[in-house]
Amino acid sequence: MKALLWLPLLALPIVYRGDVVLTICIFSFLLAMAAVSFTLVFGFTGQLSMFHAAAFGLASYVTYLFVSRAHLPFWIALGPAMAMTVLLSLVVGTICFKFKLKAFYFAVVTLAFSELTRLLVLNWNDLTNGTLGLLVLEKPTVWVPGSGVLRIEGTIAWYYLSLAGLILTVGVCWLVLRSWIGRCFAAIRLDEDLAQTLGVDIFRYKLLSFTIANLLAALAGSFYGFYTGYIEPSYLSINQGLDIIAMVLLGGRLSLSGPIVGAFVLTGLPHLIELSGEVRAMLYGVILILSILVMPNGIVGSIAGWRRAA
Amino acid sequence: MLQLVVGQTLNGVIVGTLYGIIALGVTLTFGITGIVNFALGEFMMIGAYATWYLVDHVGLPFPVALVPAVASAALCGLAADQMLFRFTRNNLVNGLLVSIGLISIVEAGALALWTATPKDMSYVLTGALRLGGVSLPKIKLLAFGLLAGVIFLTYAALARTWIGRAAYAFAQNPEAAMLMGVRTDLMQTGVVVYSCALAGFGGALYASLYSLEPAMGGLYILKGVEAAILGGIGSLIGSLVGGVTIGVTEAIGSIYLPNAFRDAYGLVFVIVILLFKPSGLFGNEL
Repeated sequence: MKALLWLPLLALPIVYRGDVVLTICIFSFLLAMAAVSFTLVFGFTGQLSMFHAAAFGLASYVTYLFVSRAHLPFWIALGPAMAMTVLLSLVVGTICFKFKLKAFYFAVVTLAFSELTRLLVLNWNDLTNGTLGLLVLEKPTVWVPGSGVLRIEGTIAWYYLSLAGLILTVGVCWLVLRSWIGRCFAAIRLDEDLAQTLGVDIFRYKLLSFTIANLLAALAGSFYGFYTGYIEPSYLSINQGLDIIAMVLLGGRLSLSGPIVGAFVLTGLPHLIELSGEVRAMLYGVILILSILVMPNGIVGSIAGWRRAA
Repeated sequence: MLQLVVGQTLNGVIVGTLYGIIALGVTLTFGITGIVNFALGEFMMIGAYATWYLVDHVGLPFPVALVPAVASAALCGLAADQMLFRFTRNNLVNGLLVSIGLISIVEAGALALWTATPKDMSYVLTGALRLGGVSLPKIKLLAFGLLAGVIFLTYAALARTWIGRAAYAFAQNPEAAMLMGVRTDLMQTGVVVYSCALAGFGGALYASLYSLEPAMGGLYILKGVEAAILGGIGSLIGSLVGGVTIGVTEAIGSIYLPNAFRDAYGLVFVIVILLFKPSGLFGNEL
C-alpha cells in the first residue's frame, strides 16, 4: 500500500513543470537520501554517528576526482568512491565499536574523525582546491533505448535520477530492516547488553549499520555534488551533519518516511517564505529544539500516534 | 627562536586556560545534570560581546564591566536552563541536540545584532613585562592569573564546603542525596547557571585579548569538550590540565607544522585518550 505513495512523485513532472518546485523536489530527494540512511544508524540502531556528513562530502570529492582526473564515466567513478567509503567506515567503525564507545563518546570520536577528514580535504589544496571548492562541469550519462547515450542535464532528468536514488536508498533500508539484520539493529537499540546476552554479535551489526548508512550517504553526496555543479569543504562540515539530524528528528527517527518528510519541510520551508540567512539558521535551531522537546517522535511518529489513539 | 617558542608557549597556556574554563563548565554540568551543554561556547560569546559593548560603547572601565558581563551570561544561562535544559536532564542525546539547536539560535542572533565584522578592544591593558629577553604582555598574564584562580577557587569550594559535599553526593547517588536534604532541582539549575557564568567570565577576558566574532563559540566549545575528555570528565583540575595541554600543543605545533592543522591536535588527543584511557588523565575509573 505504502509503495503507492511514490506514484504522485513519479507523475509530478508530467503534469507540472514549474522549475522552482521541481528544483526544491530534487534537493529534497538528495538530502532525503542522506537523511533516510542516517536514520538507519541513528534511529533504528540508536548510534548517534557524527560521521555522516563526512561520508556524504568525501564521496562527492572522490567521485569528482575520478571523473576529472582519471576521465572515468560518473557511474564507474562511483565504484572507487563507494569502496573508499566502505574502507573508511570499517576503519572508523572498528575503532569505535572494538573499544565499546557508546552514546556521547561514540558521537565525540566519530565527530573527531569527521573533522579530521574535513581538515584533510580543506588543506589538500592540489587535489581539492581548498576553501574555494571545485566546479563540476561533467554530468552523469545514461543510455536511453532509441536515443543513445544522454547527459543528465536539466531539471526533469535530474528529478528522475534523484528520485531513483531515493527509491534505491529507501529500498535498501527497507530490505535491511525487514530482515533479521533489522531485528538485530532493534535489539541493539533497545538494550545492548540484553542483545549481547541473547547472542547478537553487537560489534558486527553496529559496524554493518554504520557502514551501510555511510555507503548510502556517499551515494547521496556523489549525486549532490554533480547536481549542484559545485563541491566545497562545507559538505563535510558539522553543520551539514546537523541539517541531516534536524531532518530526521523533525520527520521522525523511527520510520523511513519520516526523514523524507523532514527533508521536504526543511528544504522547502526557506523557499516558501523569504528568509535571510540568519533567520534561516535560527529557524533550524528552533525546529531542532521543538521537535525534541514537544514532538520527540517527529511528524510521522506523531501522526501514527494520533491514528493509533483515535 | 627562544622568544618565539616562549611566546608561543605563553599564548598556548592562555588559550589553554580559556579551553580549561569551558571544560570546567562541561565537566560540572555533565556530573550533575547528565548532559553535555554544547552551547557553553555561546555563553562565552555572550560574555565577550557584553564586555565589549560595556567598555566600547557605554565606556565603563574594564574591571567594572566584567561584573555585568558575567551576570548577563549567567542570566542567559538561567533562561536556557528553565526553558530548555530542565526538560533534558539525564538524557544525554536530547541534551546534546537541544544545546546544538541553541547554538544556531544564539549565533544567528549575534550575527543579526553585531554582524560578522570582528570587534576589537585589545587596548584595555597594554604594555609588557620583559624577562631576560622575553616579553610577556601584561594582559595575558592577568587573564591567565584570573582564569587559573577561578578554576582553583571552584576546586577549593567543591572540596571544602557543604555545597561541594552535596554536589559530590548528588553525582554519586541522586536519590540518596535527595533524602539527605540536598535540594536537587536547585543544584542542577545552579550548576548550569554557574557553568554559563564561568563561560561568560572566560569570554569577558577573551574580549580583552583577541578580536570577537559571532562564530567564536563553536570553536571554543569543541576545544573545551576535548579538554574535558582529555583531563577526565569529572575532574576539575583535569579540565585545566587538559585545556593547557591542548593549547600548548597547538601553539608549539604551529611553529613546526602548517597552521592549518592546529585544530587537528585536540581531535587526535581525544581519539587516543578515549580509546586507551577513557577516564582521562585525572579521572577515576568509573
